[in-house]
Amino acid sequence: MSPSIGIPNFRGWSAIILHRPHAAAEAITRQLERIGATARIVWPELDATSGSADVVFFDADLGHDGQFPWPPGEAPMPLIALLGSEAPGRVEWAIGQGADAHILKPIGSAGVYSALVIARHAFAARRQLLAEIEDMRDRLRRRPTVARAVIAIMQGEKMNEAAAFRRLRQIAMESRRTIEDAAEMVIARYGTTDDARDSA
Amino acid sequence: MKQSYLVGVLFSTSGPYALLGRDALDGALMALAEINEDPAFPFTLAPLTGDPGGITDRYQTISDALIAGGARHVVGGITSWSRKEMIPVVEKRNALLWYPCPYEGYECSDRVVYVGACPNQHIVPLFAHLVPRFGKRAYLVGSNYIWGWETNRIARKLLEDCGGAVVGERYLPLGREDVDRIVAEIEATRPDFVLNNLIGPSSYAFLRAYAALARRNPDFAPERRPVASCDLAECELDQIGEAGIGNFAAAVYFDSLDSEANRRFLAEVRRRFGDGRRVSAFFVCAYMSVRILAEAIRETGSELPEAILPFISSRSFASPMGDLTISAQTRHTAFAPLLARIAEGNIFSVVESASVPVDPDPYLADYQGLRPIGANAMERPALRVVRS
Repeated sequence: MSPSIGIPNFRGWSAIILHRPHAAAEAITRQLERIGATARIVWPELDATSGSADVVFFDADLGHDGQFPWPPGEAPMPLIALLGSEAPGRVEWAIGQGADAHILKPIGSAGVYSALVIARHAFAARRQLLAEIEDMRDRLRRRPTVARAVIAIMQGEKMNEAAAFRRLRQIAMESRRTIEDAAEMVIARYGTTDDARDSA
Repeated sequence: MKQSYLVGVLFSTSGPYALLGRDALDGALMALAEINEDPAFPFTLAPLTGDPGGITDRYQTISDALIAGGARHVVGGITSWSRKEMIPVVEKRNALLWYPCPYEGYECSDRVVYVGACPNQHIVPLFAHLVPRFGKRAYLVGSNYIWGWETNRIARKLLEDCGGAVVGERYLPLGREDVDRIVAEIEATRPDFVLNNLIGPSSYAFLRAYAALARRNPDFAPERRPVASCDLAECELDQIGEAGIGNFAAAVYFDSLDSEANRRFLAEVRRRFGDGRRVSAFFVCAYMSVRILAEAIRETGSELPEAILPFISSRSFASPMGDLTISAQTRHTAFAPLLARIAEGNIFSVVESASVPVDPDPYLADYQGLRPIGANAMERPALRVVRS
């Protein structure tokens, strides 16, 4: 993940402000317009078209789970909590929604830009981590496949275990695949062993 | 007797950036004097001044005292650091701060009128001029606070965007003059040009040391590897002497500006301050801050920010650099940026100028790379090469 945020640009971003009509929502709208984004104030709940917004600001003071068309923590875009009350229950609820950043009320002429930069970064970082974790889990799941492939190479090429694993790694590198994908390929080529079939 | 309004004028006329502070103070006071002599204004403006001496922590208490003393408006601040100190005060007390200096952007307080350039009006056109002519490898120096950090950060991104690089980046605390290590590093890294965001004596010491390097090694002459600044003023050129010649500056005003409005303005400056007096963008922007404020009080009959703010975005204001407009959305000013080279006799010789004002874009929301000059005429006017 690059630590650099470049020259953050939000030109053309569409934002939804989930807040009752209020000075706070207007202040956010004005700040968004200055940085090139458009805003729509929505209340009391998000609608079917909300999923296409680039970012959602939500009121943490009067908010509840039923306002969102997705399960808590699974928003498809960065979320920014608008906190008036700092009572732990409200903060906890905002965390539960998956807030990537927050702004304290009352909202004046600053705060939206840095919250957007932080939320966009946190959202992207979280997405990337989840993708990496999913990838790791998949590779973990396929560890027996790698073992079967090493055995297949040992039997097919009359090699010891270390040489067979080196061979598998070489196949993966040359075909630009992960070890796990290369293992699938090897098993397809050599067929599988009785041992492997038993454990499958 | 005419009604009188108090106006806070808060510049450091002592300390590390006193030259700029005195220039801006004079600009504000000249406008106050003009208003008070002009029968077209049914009121007078009385200055409440304070000198923080360049000490950042004093801006908050002094601006608070000026407002408590009856000033609803404060014209002031040279450094961004001092502006950030005053903003909570004007926001809390429902006053307005008129800030007349170039700054690094990324701010839009509802209680500040920005009568100075933001990055799309200084560093972006400066780099669009320098990169095609000198190259994409730059060395960045600055005073150690937000102006230097953020302007250099934008510079780095502008260079990375066009495939260039930053070969070195160094900062000096305000007021320090030990520049030898920086100059040695520049000699070793051989950048195509140097961006100088140092202010005050640090900047003068650096320019003198860089000129000494050029005398020793012509490969560092300003024709080959110039120094460029976004905050250099006429009143500083005498301090720098010969060492500045050949280097670049970007500003919204130079006293060499060739226009009827500027000739009339300079004649008035000389009448009031004497023949030798030179003025800079700091002077003119502080002057225009007071002029615009006075017009607003006259036309709205009020000094309250709620009345003043809608008015200042409703029309344009004649100035020595042409008509100025203030954005209703950002309260930043549209300026036609100027790029100049320091010529013999310590004159800013304009090499490029925008034909029409460039709308302020404090968040660089419309930044689309360092376009070749003239390529982005749609949203922002192209700069015109005067002489190269």
